[in-house]
Amino acid sequence: MSAALETHGLGKRYGSQWALRDCTLEIPRGSVTALVGPNGAGKTTLLRMAVGLTRPSEGSVRVLGLDPRADAAETLPRVGFLAQEHPLYGAFTVAEMLHVGRSLNPGWDDESARARIAELGLPLKKKVRSLSGGQRAQVALTLALAKRPEVLFLDEPVASLDPLARREFMQTVAEAVAEHELTVVLSSHILADLERVCDHLVILAVGRTQLAGSIDEIVATHRLLTGPRDSAEDVARVHEVVRESHAERQTTLLVRANGHVYDARWTVHELDLEEIVLAYLGQDAARRREAVVS
Amino acid sequence: MTWLGWRLQRTETIVALGIVALLSALLVPTGINMWDAYNHGGLGACLGANPGFSCGNRIGNFRAQFQSLSDLANWFTLVPGVIGVLLAAPFVADLENGTYRLAWTQSITRGRWVFTKLGLSLLAALLAGGALTLLFDWWRGPTAHLDGRLDTGIYDSTGTVMLGYTLFALGLAIALGVLWRRSAASLVVAFIGYFATRILVDYKLREHLVSPLTATWKGAQQPAFLNDARILSLRATIHGHEVLSGGGGGFIGGTGKVGAAPGLKNAIFHAVYQPNSHYWPLQLTETALFAGVALLLIAFAAWRVLRTD
Repeated sequence: MSAALETHGLGKRYGSQWALRDCTLEIPRGSVTALVGPNGAGKTTLLRMAVGLTRPSEGSVRVLGLDPRADAAETLPRVGFLAQEHPLYGAFTVAEMLHVGRSLNPGWDDESARARIAELGLPLKKKVRSLSGGQRAQVALTLALAKRPEVLFLDEPVASLDPLARREFMQTVAEAVAEHELTVVLSSHILADLERVCDHLVILAVGRTQLAGSIDEIVATHRLLTGPRDSAEDVARVHEVVRESHAERQTTLLVRANGHVYDARWTVHELDLEEIVLAYLGQDAARRREAVVS
Repeated sequence: MTWLGWRLQRTETIVALGIVALLSALLVPTGINMWDAYNHGGLGACLGANPGFSCGNRIGNFRAQFQSLSDLANWFTLVPGVIGVLLAAPFVADLENGTYRLAWTQSITRGRWVFTKLGLSLLAALLAGGALTLLFDWWRGPTAHLDGRLDTGIYDSTGTVMLGYTLFALGLAIALGVLWRRSAASLVVAFIGYFATRILVDYKLREHLVSPLTATWKGAQQPAFLNDARILSLRATIHGHEVLSGGGGGFIGGTGKVGAAPGLKNAIFHAVYQPNSHYWPLQLTETALFAGVALLLIAFAAWRVLRTD
């Protein structure tokens, strides 16, 4: 079975600027994947290419084995997308927004959409523009879910929401995942929003994939090593060094380990996910500084 | 998609039809008065019997009664621009607000979205423009008999050209909106562009749309066939010396006279003119021109939106 999302050497250039470059990754079906990276890392561009809004400049993108741009008619009914600004027609009532979903989607699940709106306590006759930001996000999410997509892409879904609305929004996502066999890819520049619901992680930085995999595997393989500076090269031969920092006496290495670290000269610490992500993003910042200098 | 397309442009369509209704409320009673005065006041019968200049009193009375209305009516030439630009607003607003991204990630293709939305706005413009055309053509009837239907103010609001103008304003506003994605600015600039184009066509281009005719005659008495023609230029010579030259734009109606000055009795007159019989060829060419440019602009907008990144 083809992956939910698969990209090979995917890149997008606007003018002379690359928004995303050389992105190769595979997101399995049934996963809930956090797409993490700093602002400008290309998260939005990647998601827009996945739903066919944007055409790749190079490389390929496949969603459920289909080209989202060339096979739009087949792909669109099977994917859901929530843009960052949660675009809705402000002059429409909530009921009319549901009508929009019904008239544009053959697989529309009206019953669940109405049930969800009722659960949220939103009056159907209320105009969308008079709703709060959190309510609008929920209406937009309801629309995306009632389409009954196989893969749901959410671009910075909670960035504009207050903490309570964030929690409620992510709660709805988690319920939908539990209820249906839904693959979710959601981007954020803040990991804490996603950690509880996600089982996969993709880190995008400098417009490239830095790390992709299941969160359990990522946490299991990343280790912080402290030891003598002169043996750092021995470590690097076996394990992938993500980040290193040197003090006078000792060196600290953050590694993606290939199996156990046996070298007795090194002290091994476990890391939590946030520390790992920060290490990758910190490396990104370091590379950017290099790029500016060179 | 048809439901959504209609819902998105419902307000603008209702406002456009409201403008037409408002104009009807103003024009239908006054039009009935004018036709009544024309038909039953003896003016129509007089003009029918004497295509020359002999209905002076009756014409004077008619003009005294309705001139202010006729002057006001020249402003109505802006109405197709207002309606066309107004009906472009929903399409541009969708691009400006980013709501097109919502529509394009439902189950329908963006092609269907583009064609439905553009098709519906085109349909609304055809309806409103058609209603305007019928209304003004009827209302202008009596004055057209009086001043000649080639008179700029009358020509602009009779026949089929108003339909072309409406479509042109729509196409221009949509094309600018697609390029700019800013509703207010696009619509205002489109309206200014509409007005500038109309002036250019009225005063420069129109006379060339259908090749004008030339006429030469001797003496100050203007030939009868020029009574309802539009004179583009007029020269008078005596023994080869030019004694009079007039630029274009002048219209000589059934009540006018060329070169009534006594000194020109023996002069040879040369006129370039559009005869009354060119009215429909001119109207249809101009309508096709405006409508054709409108369709090109809309096709450009569709192409541009379809390849949006």
